[in-house]
Amino acid sequence: MSVLRSLSGLLTWLIPFGILVTLLVVWELWVQLADVPKWQLPAPSAIGKELVSSSSLLWDHTLVTLQEIVIGFLAALIAGLVLAGGIAYSRVLERSVYPIVIASQTVPIIAIAPLLLIWVGYGLTPKIIIVALICFYPIAVNTVDGLKATDPDMVNMLRTLGASRWQVFTKLQIPTSLPFMFSGIKIGVSVSVIAAVIGEWVGSSEGLGYLITYSQPLFLTARVFAAIFVLSVMGIGLFVLAAVAERMMMPWHFHEKLSNSMRQL
Amino acid sequence: MATETAVEPKIRIGSIHKSYFIDGAQQEVLAGVDLVVNAGEFVSIVGPSGCGKSTLLNIIAGLDQPDSGSVELASERPGELLKTAGERLGRTGYMQQKDLLLPWRSVLDNTILGLELKGLSKKQAREQALEYTEAFGLKGFEHHYPFTLSGGMRQRAAFLRTMLMDQDVVLLDEPFGALDALTRIQMQEWLLQLWESLSKTIVLITHDVDEALLLSDRVYLMSARPGRATLVLDVDLPRPRHYDMVTTPDFSTLKAHLMEPLRAQTQTFKFQANKSVGQAGS
Repeated sequence: MSVLRSLSGLLTWLIPFGILVTLLVVWELWVQLADVPKWQLPAPSAIGKELVSSSSLLWDHTLVTLQEIVIGFLAALIAGLVLAGGIAYSRVLERSVYPIVIASQTVPIIAIAPLLLIWVGYGLTPKIIIVALICFYPIAVNTVDGLKATDPDMVNMLRTLGASRWQVFTKLQIPTSLPFMFSGIKIGVSVSVIAAVIGEWVGSSEGLGYLITYSQPLFLTARVFAAIFVLSVMGIGLFVLAAVAERMMMPWHFHEKLSNSMRQL
Repeated sequence: MATETAVEPKIRIGSIHKSYFIDGAQQEVLAGVDLVVNAGEFVSIVGPSGCGKSTLLNIIAGLDQPDSGSVELASERPGELLKTAGERLGRTGYMQQKDLLLPWRSVLDNTILGLELKGLSKKQAREQALEYTEAFGLKGFEHHYPFTLSGGMRQRAAFLRTMLMDQDVVLLDEPFGALDALTRIQMQEWLLQLWESLSKTIVLITHDVDEALLLSDRVYLMSARPGRATLVLDVDLPRPRHYDMVTTPDFSTLKAHLMEPLRAQTQTFKFQANKSVGQAGS
């Protein structure tokens, strides 16, 4: 059974990896054989060369974008968790603030981005705000759902043990909400990269999004692809980081899932 | 407690009524239930499903309020009676049907939950709980997560959590209902021993007539919904008791006393269910 498990584990990694490699090979061959001009579509090998030759340029812009993402995401995390806690704990906040939070999602944040330039200028701040605004929603809404997902029988059990409202919140509602919260965080992390790039497109003088808008009219297409590659790696890296944090904070959750799937085997 | 003569009522319930709004209709769940449990007694309540047994325990535990009637729970202080739900909440040990262990806490940390809520430090509480893990058959599993445990062990962990609160009155709502027959018998014998050494007042809900007779000093039989106590039976079997007694003639006589009205009720219950198809209550 353990052999089977490790084999199926290997396969789950091998299959997407194989698909990716095949796509890259097809791309490379097509560019080479059809003689596609480099400014139109560079081959993967050319993008690889560009990654090496412009590495210091890419690195500088990466740091800027990463900074926007990390600060914006952390701001969204703190605000999202505090607000979710308030909404789950207080009926008044739930009735008054929660509908506004949900309605706010219908506002196209891309449309607000130019306004932010007018209000807070060209620096890092407007990008951080855009990242925070976009990450905030999935974190807050998922956490509210999680805080409310408590089993009423569990609540009664705690009350018969003499628990106060606050103790029910800290001992039951918060741990129950963790898997939900991490779903929100993983969605937030994934969209944070897009948010930062949008912020930089609207107006900036640095960052990977800026590098893309700057290189494209100059037909430095390989550099555009190199920047996109770095953005993807950044997004995947942040997602993995969130997933690792999830595993470390909820070991029981993954043990339980594992033992359930073992039982099914 | 052991020095007291066991005549002082610990729980006294006078004709309580309770209705719920179920599927858009007012349904009476308890229709005038009377119940007296003296200090140190083991009392069982037997009845068909849906007769309001759990509602009754919820009311005693202070999770719910009756529409009318009186509930008095004697506190540890002599002469003091806890009459409102708010006063009674947190003053009984209540173990529900499900074990309700928190999946993110180890077995040991689940058992100390009540002590922690009282304000004890984790360290103190753990020390206290560790004294009992052997007696509750949890030794060696203190640091396991609940989902790795068998059903019987999970129930014993939930039971230790309840008992560590050291309340005089312990309410048990079908604690062995979800267990297989053999584990169930083991748990019944284990509970017998435990109760005989602890001098607690216990109210047990069950629909297992053998279980009720084996464990109790007195058995209340409840009718199908709306529930009321239709029969009170004193179980005068000698103590200490053993599972072997289930096959003795005395036991069979008592069982016959309970089974006859219980079967009559289940039949009328079935008849009613046939008349009102689609109105299945829980």
